[in-house]
Amino acid sequence: MEKMIYALLSVKKESDRLDSMLIGMQGISGANLYSLPVDEITAVVSDTTRAGLITDSTNAITFAGVIEALSQEFTLLPMRFGSLMESTGAILKMLERNYPDVQQNLQQVEDMLEFGLKVFCDSEKLRADLMEKSEIGTKTTVLSTPEVKNSVYRDWVNKKLKEHRLEELLLTHVDSVVAAITEHLSRMNAVCKFKKMLTETTIIDALFLLKKDMKTELMQAVGNLQKQYPGLNFVMTGPWPPYNFVEITIK
Amino acid sequence: MNNNVIDQSKDITILELLDRVLNKGVILTGDIVISVADIDLVYLGVKLMLSSVETMEQLKKGKTIKES
Repeated sequence: MEKMIYALLSVKKESDRLDSMLIGMQGISGANLYSLPVDEITAVVSDTTRAGLITDSTNAITFAGVIEALSQEFTLLPMRFGSLMESTGAILKMLERNYPDVQQNLQQVEDMLEFGLKVFCDSEKLRADLMEKSEIGTKTTVLSTPEVKNSVYRDWVNKKLKEHRLEELLLTHVDSVVAAITEHLSRMNAVCKFKKMLTETTIIDALFLLKKDMKTELMQAVGNLQKQYPGLNFVMTGPWPPYNFVEITIK
Repeated sequence: MNNNVIDQSKDITILELLDRVLNKGVILTGDIVISVADIDLVYLGVKLMLSSVETMEQLKKGKTIKES
């Protein structure tokens, strides 16, 4: 029977507390959870079979639920769903082999939580506002060189130039929002990751890693940002275990 | 808070959660089972991500998931 690994935990001298906690929890398909320790690192696992493991939202949510419950009490690295190993011995050897890397990653996320922030916009309205402010819409021909003046392509070239300038304005605006977010979070010593222009309407997809006790301060900061940019919609998610701040591939 | 807003928040949370569980976290190589029940997990992840983006688009247009 294979072992499903849920998370790697920094347990130190609290292995009894972890084991007591695991007694009251269930893994995928109601399986019992148990710990496999190597010094200060512990893998939380359950028995499963490859054939019996289905990738559906019920199992994925159960898997995430175990990780979330553990993350309330311990610093951990969440495993990706589907991390199976063939035996207890194989897991213990894997932990020994990767001990320094796992330990280092655990130290980086110690007492930290992940939060997500998505910034949505009404794409057409935002573009219209930016165009109005920049006067792109009122200034007509930009190209008037002799080569282009009488060209049948003049209108097309000007249209493309206008679109290009609008995109530049949009990116500048998104950069200014990112700068404002960064400034608001600077006092929290947050680790930030930003993706810009994910879709037409999702202009920012941000991830933050910050100390657990900074949650209230973060929510206040996002509230202030919403007031600062009333035309945008700020949606926060979390707290999450540090899924997006784990930079380790173990063998 | 009205029911639509609650539904939307739940859907966003579930999509965000599935994206994390299936696409993030510590990756095991070697003995890892990537393919579960003959379905490629990476493919499932991408599919979920696509539906996640579509859902976000619908939410932006003011629709609930149930309406779409």
